[in-house]
Amino acid sequence: MDFLAEGFRRALALLFSGDAEVYGIALLTFRIGVISTVLACGLGIPLGFMLATRPFWGRRAALTVVNTALAFPTVVLGLLLYGLLSRRGPLGAMGWLYTWQAIALGDVLLALPIAAALAAAAVQGVDPRIRRTAETLGAGRWRTTWTVAREARFALAAVITTAFGHVVAEIGSAMTVGGNIRGQTRTLTTAVALYTSQGDFGLALALGLILLLLALLVNVALQTLQGRGHA
Amino acid sequence: MLELVQVRHAYHGRLVLDLERFAVPPGAAIAVVGPNGSGKSTLLRLLALLERPSAGRVLLNGAVVTPGGAARRQVTLVEQRPILFRATVRENLEFGLQVRGIRRAEVNRRVENIAARLAITPLLGRRRHELSDGEVQRVAVARALAVEPDVLLLDEPASSADRAAALTLYRALAEERARRPMAVCLASHQLEDAYRWADDVRALADGRLSPVTPENLFRVELQAAESGDLKHACVGTVEIAAMTDKTGPAILAVPPTDIFVSREPLASSARNTFPGRVTSLARRRPDEGAVHVTADVGVELVAVITEEAVRDLALAPGTPVVFSFKASAVRVF
Repeated sequence: MDFLAEGFRRALALLFSGDAEVYGIALLTFRIGVISTVLACGLGIPLGFMLATRPFWGRRAALTVVNTALAFPTVVLGLLLYGLLSRRGPLGAMGWLYTWQAIALGDVLLALPIAAALAAAAVQGVDPRIRRTAETLGAGRWRTTWTVAREARFALAAVITTAFGHVVAEIGSAMTVGGNIRGQTRTLTTAVALYTSQGDFGLALALGLILLLLALLVNVALQTLQGRGHA
Repeated sequence: MLELVQVRHAYHGRLVLDLERFAVPPGAAIAVVGPNGSGKSTLLRLLALLERPSAGRVLLNGAVVTPGGAARRQVTLVEQRPILFRATVRENLEFGLQVRGIRRAEVNRRVENIAARLAITPLLGRRRHELSDGEVQRVAVARALAVEPDVLLLDEPASSADRAAALTLYRALAEERARRPMAVCLASHQLEDAYRWADDVRALADGRLSPVTPENLFRVELQAAESGDLKHACVGTVEIAAMTDKTGPAILAVPPTDIFVSREPLASSARNTFPGRVTSLARRRPDEGAVHVTADVGVELVAVITEEAVRDLALAPGTPVVFSFKASAVRVF
């Protein structure tokens, strides 16, 4: 118990002392998380809309692929990405291996199917009469899509929260393609893993608490936004 | 003129609508009546250009129109269980006007105007979860009328409304039609409303238009006759005799004007003679000389007779009567 209590004490001390390394890691994680979530949702939510509303050949197969991708092991994703980004790989010329961009790319690939699958489910959950009503009142394709999105806005906000949660909590790909380089590619999850293995439980715990705080902040922000729109 | 021509429509291989022609002329007031599952809602969705028919054409003023085209802005449908957008009633009424790019002042004027006519002004600030089913239905009709369509399609518009609300609704429709040319096609299973309100009542049964008026339509299973074309079909607790070469599932229609009404059984050639009691007497329109006599003869049948005949037979609700009609008077389709 003393060990745990000591860990908590050190974690709080680090948090309130404004430790540059701790906050640097947190900031990098937040930056990667926001960029990856914006890109993944920017691509994934429209893809989810298309899967849910546009009848096309192979739609069912596409939905199966997206749903299967939800369970794709992040370490395997990191491994494949490593192969692509390493010097001898097809994308080696970009020089992204062991950079934060590589971590962000992995996170986008991880969150994209999440955003697409959950957005498709959110749109499918909207009463089909909403679409028909918008159409019969003269709305064109974009206005109809916007109307459906407005109806699904709470579920779509949950899609963004979930994507962000997965991205900041991801470790397998970040470790493999980021390399956990101090001051450059060390994120909250890779740092927690490293400091725990080094026996610095207090520092690991401090970073873990920040990770939780980040997820909490994003949830609170989205819930506040949702609260402004009533049923 | 909005028309369906040689339209057949199927869901998952099951034919739900089969129409040679169904036209809604400009300014017409049409009621489509029929039991649940007869194809009324499908018919309205095809007319509203929300679905493409499996076969056949939809024409607007002679030109073929398809879902997604500009023609949809001339036709508006209010569904049987309409839904409001997640917004205030005012924003719902504004929706169709905004998508047409109408300027703010005109939007406000039309919204206030239509809200007053449908007596929903006090509801303008409310949201959908604060409304009753009847109020939702009135708001949905107001929302459709706000865009001033050439053709308004209404699926069971008074199904959630009480009598007073239904009268307000029908009055608003009549006022709108008096104010500007607008065709209305209304689907209902309530014959009373259909006759009171429409100029033209059409009956739909199993996706097909009935060749006779919509009363006395029965879905039956016809067995092969032992000899000849005289067949008997069970309807409720009675057996109706009909002359037909058809077998299998069919619709029987007994034209109300072909039913003889008497107080005692008649010695006649009629193969169908059913004793029962009068349940109601009604004139569909105040100026109409004919009276619709409804009797429970084991199944509910409607006969149309003259006012003079009603007096001579001293008919009133509860009076014992005998309904008779020939097997050859029964239409089978």
